[in-house]
Amino acid sequence: MVNQKITCIILLIISTIALLACLVVNFQDWVVYLVAIIGIPLWVLSLGFLTMAKPRPEDVEERVKEPFTGY
Amino acid sequence: MADILINVIIAFLAGSLLLGLHRKIMARVQKRPGPPIIQHLLHSLKFFFKETAFPKTASMPFYIGIVFILAVVWVVGVIVGPVTKGSLLILFGVYAVYKIVEHNSGSSSGSPYGKASCVRAVLSAATELPLFAAVVLVYLKTGSMNIGNIISYQASNGPLAFSIPLAAIMFFLLLLAKSPYSPFAITKDKTLVSGFETEHFGFLRGFIMFSESISWYVMLWVFLTIFFGPLGVVGYVVGMIVITFITGFINAVTPLLNPNHSVMSQITLGAACFVGTVIMILI
Repeated sequence: MVNQKITCIILLIISTIALLACLVVNFQDWVVYLVAIIGIPLWVLSLGFLTMAKPRPEDVEERVKEPFTGY
Repeated sequence: MADILINVIIAFLAGSLLLGLHRKIMARVQKRPGPPIIQHLLHSLKFFFKETAFPKTASMPFYIGIVFILAVVWVVGVIVGPVTKGSLLILFGVYAVYKIVEHNSGSSSGSPYGKASCVRAVLSAATELPLFAAVVLVYLKTGSMNIGNIISYQASNGPLAFSIPLAAIMFFLLLLAKSPYSPFAITKDKTLVSGFETEHFGFLRGFIMFSESISWYVMLWVFLTIFFGPLGVVGYVVGMIVITFITGFINAVTPLLNPNHSVMSQITLGAACFVGTVIMILI
């Protein structure tokens, strides 16, 4: 869990820097498109991993045990 | 980059509000008060803070990767559409990948509902036939696949919606198929709970809703641009609201078709419109 958090923080920082770099520096078009296509979803994904609430330790097993099979 | 970021943010906000409006219209047609128009946007953001766990049966990392790919697909849609006004063929490719995402999202979750939806996603690829036919007809009429050139053609010859209306209807079928609670939405049939999204909850659902808001905006933008362009901001806003209203009304009063009927209806309507448009062009 700690590793996941660190990875997400690193990815968030990298994607933020990449997006800001493309805003400031005048790169070639294909570089900007590549950074946007990878960077924007990566930014949202890593942010989501950091903002999501985690289940309580005693509930973890229950949450991941079964696929959802109906009400 | 600023242009891309601004367009992605506009697509997300406008798409969310339009989908909220869609729910509101459906509710009012069904004599329910319905949620506020901003509810879809609030839900998308709220899910980012909800408890999220990954089922043991999920196929990792594909289970998460597919949500990422969905966002990639529609960011490409924004770049090819509103930002660069590029090729329609790339947008057709974007929609084809979107179908693959539906398929793999269901299969990666391990849920029986997701898997049933995954199988239906293969059938629902029938929606691509009217889309492909519409793209071909637009090419036959304008001699170009480039959205910028198509806009220029319409500036001098009038909107394509009036010269090849049946092609516009075919494209509208795609919009209808993609809209929530559509009669053709066999992958999200309520008997499958939430279909391929059933096991994607918490922030992954918020991420999916983020991408779907962008997809709704992009598809409406493409439809309005290639059949009613060139339009100003007001034209796009009015057009998007009107189409959302029409699809909401149709979806509110139309039951979900079963998979066979859904596929056959789309193929039959697509074929009739294609033949009709070719005859109109030849005459």
